[in-house]
Amino acid sequence: MPEPDDQLLHHWLRRTSERQPTFPAILEDERGTTFRELLEDTQSLSAALTRRGLCKGDRVALVLPKSTEAIISLFAVLMAGAIYVPIQPRWPAERIQSTIDDCVPRFTIKESESGLIIVDCTNGEQLPWREMLASSRGACPEPDVAPDDPAFILFTSGSTGKPKGVVISHRAVGAFVKWSAAEFQLRREDRIACPSPLSFDLSTFDIFNMALVGAACVLVPEQVVWMPRFLTQFVREQRITVWYSVPSILAGMLNEGGFAQGSYPDLRVILFAGEVFAGRHLARLQGVIPHAQCVNLYGPTETNVITWYRVPSGFEPSKPIPIGKACPYAEVMMDSSTGALLAGGESLMSGYWNQPQETEQSFVNASGKRFYCTGDRVSLTDSGDYVYLDRLDRQVKRRGFRIELGEIEAALLRHAEVLEAAVIASQDPEGQTVIAAFVRRCPDSTLSLVDIKTFCAQFLPSYSMPDQVLFVETMPKGNRGKIDYAALRKLYAEKRNDEYPGGRPPVHP
Amino acid sequence: MNIQAVVRQYILEKHLSGEYSDGFEDTTPLISSGIIDSIGVLDLVNFIETRFKIEFMPREIAPRNLETVEQIHLAIQKKLDSKSGVSSNP
Repeated sequence: MPEPDDQLLHHWLRRTSERQPTFPAILEDERGTTFRELLEDTQSLSAALTRRGLCKGDRVALVLPKSTEAIISLFAVLMAGAIYVPIQPRWPAERIQSTIDDCVPRFTIKESESGLIIVDCTNGEQLPWREMLASSRGACPEPDVAPDDPAFILFTSGSTGKPKGVVISHRAVGAFVKWSAAEFQLRREDRIACPSPLSFDLSTFDIFNMALVGAACVLVPEQVVWMPRFLTQFVREQRITVWYSVPSILAGMLNEGGFAQGSYPDLRVILFAGEVFAGRHLARLQGVIPHAQCVNLYGPTETNVITWYRVPSGFEPSKPIPIGKACPYAEVMMDSSTGALLAGGESLMSGYWNQPQETEQSFVNASGKRFYCTGDRVSLTDSGDYVYLDRLDRQVKRRGFRIELGEIEAALLRHAEVLEAAVIASQDPEGQTVIAAFVRRCPDSTLSLVDIKTFCAQFLPSYSMPDQVLFVETMPKGNRGKIDYAALRKLYAEKRNDEYPGGRPPVHP
Repeated sequence: MNIQAVVRQYILEKHLSGEYSDGFEDTTPLISSGIIDSIGVLDLVNFIETRFKIEFMPREIAPRNLETVEQIHLAIQKKLDSKSGVSSNP
């Protein structure tokens, strides 16, 4: 293990590579990359980018799927003292561009028809990634990076329609990673899999634990992430020992992936986070893999993981799964007036990128310390565990992705023929989030559902798209002329009952 | 009911419920238009696999095969043909 006081993520990679150069660092399909190869490529790319002008504090946008090249790139950026900004290539082009415009990167690394390219954002020059790597072998002097310097920026849904960038320092993410390595006794024999994209905070777990403890980071092929039967096969065949994903993926594997029919002797730790896991699914999971420890991790992007709950065997399926107690590096408390969870400690974000006012508003001072207001309302059990109740605001989660309903409204309102738009979320009988949009069109508009969805797809990622769009003649309003969301929820429930008394039926073959 | 009609009905019921589905043609983009999201695609594949008793491999579940009702129809037909031994190449 690296020095306990070493807070820099790229230092972890160097030390681990020196200690176990021939061990596998990344496994992707049939391809394996050893720690020596990973370090050499990282150093070469870092040196090449530095020679081309990358400086400490510069941003580098990584518009890449989670791949070996993406991991080399992100460590190269960190080694140069710069900040990486992961962007999902599947996001709508407009969203990708607005994120790039916001973070003003020095370089953008992305896929092109001719392979991976590095775009020099000062002049638009396109440099083949492989050639850049080969152009510069060996390390170059590293800038002096401090633990509180930013390591990456994660862009999440913003309530005004503009995604906001959460700036995370080496120290902040390091606190979580180092704790998780010790708590779950991660070691170099482990094979860790986390199917989340780089832009999702769950992805810090597998990548940085690989660098810290020398475990192999086994990349889940993107095309199987939401295909339960292939994912189940992947976990078995790749002999995954530590798994970390959103509960929806685990539920899919249990319900449709034949997970219960398999045997997973190697799987010893199952971590989940990002949304509520239904107790009945968890109970099944424990039944299938009784030897594995199941752990609920909790924390918004702004705080990293701050609480955790190790689920005892034989957990009562009808009970909600607590989010647990604070991790040792975190401090949490309940706001006495709102019931919201407040989070403090080492793992907090530095702030929102370029949004000092929003940053200021998201923190509160309590007991002389700075706390981030999560907006999650919680209760406390007799055993001192926190239990998530609901949100104070209009943020919802779908498959672990964070969605601000205001962002969907903002997208709808960009259409010239939309006069008013209001979006609500509800849950289907399976507990999945369903998003419904109410739209008031211009009087002569012939805007159809297809038109609306097609229009929104230009701005919203697919997980934010409304499931249903309902056209209304008038929008219900409250006394102050504001949209009455409670009335809309009632209207939606009535409409669903009219259409499907007893609930919406599944579409059977 | 022919293949296209089955797929069309599924999409209408599942993703375009309501009376405002004008503009939905067999050539309407489904994925790039946001009518179906990534999970919706997998539900659709699940439906097709059960309904037509065929199986897709992960690499086949790509927008180029499933972007429109027309393309979905072709993908299903190809699977059915290879299952029954009919060559898709004349």
